[in-house]
Amino acid sequence: MFKVENLEFKYTKNQSNVLNGLNFEIKEGEIFGFLGPSGAGKSTTQKIIIKILEDYKGKILYKDKDLKSYGNEFYEDIGVSFEMPVHFSKMTAMENINFFLKLYKNNEDIELLMKRLGLWEDRNKLVGEFSKGMKIRLNLVRALLNKPKMLFLDEPTNGLDPANAMIMKDIIREFKNNGGTVFITSHIMSDIDQLCDRVAFIVNGEIKEIDSPRNLKIRYGKRTVKVEYKEDNQIKSKEYPLTEISENRDFIDIIKSKDIETIHSGETTLEDIFIKVTGVNLDNES
Amino acid sequence: MKVSRLKQLILGELLRLHKYNVIFISVFIALVWGIILYFVNSNIFDVLLPLLILVDSTMMSFMYIGSVMFFEKKESTLSSILVTPVKNEEIVLSKIFANTLHNLLSTSLVIIAFVFIKQVELRYILIFFSIIVITSLFTGLGLLFSYYQKDFTTMLMNIMILAFLLLIPSALFAFGIISGKFWEYILLINPIQAAQELINGGFKEYEITWKYYFSLAYLLVGLITTYKYLIIPKFQKYAVSISGV
Ligand SMILES: Nc1ncnc2c1ncn2[C@@H]1O[C@H](COP(=O)(O)OP(=O)(O)O)[C@@H](O)[C@H]1O
Ligand SMILES: [Mg+2]
Repeated sequence: MFKVENLEFKYTKNQSNVLNGLNFEIKEGEIFGFLGPSGAGKSTTQKIIIKILEDYKGKILYKDKDLKSYGNEFYEDIGVSFEMPVHFSKMTAMENINFFLKLYKNNEDIELLMKRLGLWEDRNKLVGEFSKGMKIRLNLVRALLNKPKMLFLDEPTNGLDPANAMIMKDIIREFKNNGGTVFITSHIMSDIDQLCDRVAFIVNGEIKEIDSPRNLKIRYGKRTVKVEYKEDNQIKSKEYPLTEISENRDFIDIIKSKDIETIHSGETTLEDIFIKVTGVNLDNES
Repeated sequence: MKVSRLKQLILGELLRLHKYNVIFISVFIALVWGIILYFVNSNIFDVLLPLLILVDSTMMSFMYIGSVMFFEKKESTLSSILVTPVKNEEIVLSKIFANTLHNLLSTSLVIIAFVFIKQVELRYILIFFSIIVITSLFTGLGLLFSYYQKDFTTMLMNIMILAFLLLIPSALFAFGIISGKFWEYILLINPIQAAQELINGGFKEYEITWKYYFSLAYLLVGLITTYKYLIIPKFQKYAVSISGV
């Protein structure tokens, strides 16, 4: 759907580039995760692809045509959720939503959406009185209200409690299952690990790795099996490589002869892989 | 440009002016004027109405749009509008239109107070036409001005300085402290003076001369050229800079 080639960007005020030649593709119907620490350039990349920032270098194709050749009708098909609340605080949630609804051709069923996100009861409250989490959920309503074909979500789960983060992820997954395409950024790996079909690791405006979380785990994961067993009234543990495990005598002896407590295959988290690939630690605070 | 979208944007602007109590304040100010005029009997009020209309359509419009833009910056709301099918031109037009409509309302209330209490005689069509032209121009100029302001306090200070530089000569002339053909010519370059001339033309006792037509042409050309060559082309960069996301 989108093809980005050698994307470079510099803010006029800054001396050096924020993005240093990004290459990636967002395929139709996938959830593409853009992962990296704060300041990596995730939001900047999103703002460029959604045609807000203009003076970039490189090439961006949307549906095989230069992004620059599209006019404002481009926005009929996309929905954007920004990193921070973007609503009129002296207006109610419903007044905000109604204002934006009328600017589009297609309109989503707002009642259903707001009910799922737990905002319907508070629809006539001023947004200024909303909690941070409520404002973030309202951002998703805002992003979906024009029935977009593609969603751009900048840190959509940041600041949400686990229950609401789950609801939000369900809605994103459903959007994809109905044929939608999603670009999603996060600086918290575990948040969107299971959600994404493919992820890109971005650090200092450079993409260090792109693949599906599954492939990354196979490529960088530890591929071992860890056995915990009882011996002389003590819990002991041993680790074995997964390759040719059935030929491993020591492993088989233990399975046969010992009182086994647990067996785990070595699960490497996306975060471990990120650190391994990029050498950069993620900050997990918001 | 799509009329239905423009209409929706204008309605949104007006609703917000109402929500932020701006419309209430305008009605309140007109009421205060009514009360002052009713109880204080002084000749000074005879020259005051043109000056009031002038300040409302120029400096006040200028300041209103500046405040509106700072509100939008504070709430990052423009970013959300930038990702709709709305065109930049529609955003700018809706702001100019809403501000002009609001000023027309608030100034009309003050005019009504003067007409009923001081029996001022007006050329109604000309006065309302003048208010529309002048408010549109100064709203546009205010918007352009806010492209270059870092924060609200600096903006207010800069407006004070501008007001001092531009309003003072016109005020001096209005009170007859400076006079003469030379000043008449020079002062018309100042858009506020040209605006003054246009507003004066809305009063029955004022004689319409070439100065009136010159001012009218000057302001209209100014409105169209600044709109087309400055306000619109520079809007996207500014909008992104205050979108805050
Ligand atoms: N409007 C701006 N002007 C100048 N520099 C900016 C601006 N926005 C972001 N930056 C800088 O660009 C870099 C990337 O920012 P951003 O894209 O927001 O990163 P992320 O979303 O990954 O946290 C940071 O160093 C940030 O300070
Ligand atoms: Mg960001």
